[in-house]
Amino acid sequence: MSKKILPLVLLFSILAFSQSKNPDSILDRVKEEFNKIDDYTVDVKIKVDVDFLKMPDREAKIFFKKPDKIHIESEGFAMLPKEGLNFSPLGLLNSKYSSFYVREDTLTGIETSVIKVIPLEGGADVILSTLWVDTKRDLILKIESSRKPQGTFVIDLDYLKTDKGFWLPSSMIFSFSIDRSILPRQFNFDADSDDKKAREDSTKTRTGKVFLDYSNYKINTGLSDEIFENKSNQK
Amino acid sequence: MILTLVKIELLKIFKKWRTYIGFIAIGVLVPLLHLAMYLEGQHSLDFITRGLRDSFVLVGNLLNGYWISYIILNALTVHIPFLVALVAGDLLAGEATAGTYRVLITRPVSRMQVVIAKYISGIIYTGSLVLWLAIMSLVIGLIVFGTGELIVMSPDAIIIFEKSDILWRFVLAYGFAALSMSVVCSLSIFFSSLVENAIGPIVATMAIIIIFIILSAFDVEILREIRPYLFTNYILQWREFFYNPLNLDKILKATLILGGHILLFFTATAIIFKKKDILS
Repeated sequence: MSKKILPLVLLFSILAFSQSKNPDSILDRVKEEFNKIDDYTVDVKIKVDVDFLKMPDREAKIFFKKPDKIHIESEGFAMLPKEGLNFSPLGLLNSKYSSFYVREDTLTGIETSVIKVIPLEGGADVILSTLWVDTKRDLILKIESSRKPQGTFVIDLDYLKTDKGFWLPSSMIFSFSIDRSILPRQFNFDADSDDKKAREDSTKTRTGKVFLDYSNYKINTGLSDEIFENKSNQK
Repeated sequence: MILTLVKIELLKIFKKWRTYIGFIAIGVLVPLLHLAMYLEGQHSLDFITRGLRDSFVLVGNLLNGYWISYIILNALTVHIPFLVALVAGDLLAGEATAGTYRVLITRPVSRMQVVIAKYISGIIYTGSLVLWLAIMSLVIGLIVFGTGELIVMSPDAIIIFEKSDILWRFVLAYGFAALSMSVVCSLSIFFSSLVENAIGPIVATMAIIIIFIILSAFDVEILREIRPYLFTNYILQWREFFYNPLNLDKILKATLILGGHILLFFTATAIIFKKKDILS
């Protein structure tokens, strides 16, 4: 009898311990911190390191306005990861979700609380997210998410304190895996052996990283809605 | 002497109505494709990049003259051989049809010189047709759609080329396209040396190309073995200039094979024409 009870006691103890911090209040503070920012513009340098995409490094300007308006301007073609583009936790946390405190962890010397977030709305792309939250500054330092059907992604964030005292990302590394089948195919495959190999490779899952370096933040300048009316560049 | 003969041959080529069919066809077709791209090109691009749009925000204009020229070059290099054969197939057989063979070889020029002049002028016609395609698709495309980055689907990656990294690729790609079309021209002249009516060489050239393309398309082990020996397998290798990094070995091999075919067809034509019993 005692052999059966012991594991249950252990399980309840772990669950009780793991819920020792309130994940909702941690996430609420993160949201609250970000909600202080009404809008901003920032210059961003983009470097793509993806085996299925070869593109030159790019510079772009990102315009953000609450709650989730995004406009990007770039002289040339630029490709930016949708997730984390506005580095806003609001996209993930504004819809209904369930959160669980998991553990404490240290990221690059910073103590963080690890929280799992499960979206409860059926239409959400993300199935499960794990957040590493710096509870001293109320910032998300890392996000690990599983999406359907695109695969998983990890966002690593570094922050800088702006002139107005807000913490905003100074760099972001977006690492992802993606099913090759949802990527565009070549117009016509050549029939030689190399391309046959490429065709076989085309079924594999691909991975990649996008590096974003942010600078020159201009915060709460009262950006006009007209800036965001260009649908093609809007998230 | 050869230069004079080439000038005469070119004069003969460009005096014929059929010579302009190719130029007119490209002159009509390419603007139609431009119009279609102007109206629907963005949809095509959206369709191509739809998978990426699920995960990424794409900013910037990829619908530009370079991309449209690339698409047109993909579509037309398969069909240009017919326009080449239309003229090249007539170069020797046309003399027989017109009854000018004997007049041609009674002049103080050797049969070899006649064949060389025919080949050079045929290749000049082929080159001018490809140049016309370049002017119509690239130059007009850039005027209508402007410049920008070029998106290319290589077999293993999507490549975005910077504006400054594109033009030289097109110059080399059109040059390679001219070389591969010159093989078609040489094949047509070879067939033209065998018969006395131009229809035969034109049909035979197209039949060979169609058969080779079909053989290349079947992904069967036995056909895969013979594929490297079919010149049609190298016709579309101008695309290599739009891959990054360039596979110079592959490009050089394709260039040598196509050049070798031209030499082979020229030699065969020269031998046949030298021994030919001219009766017309």
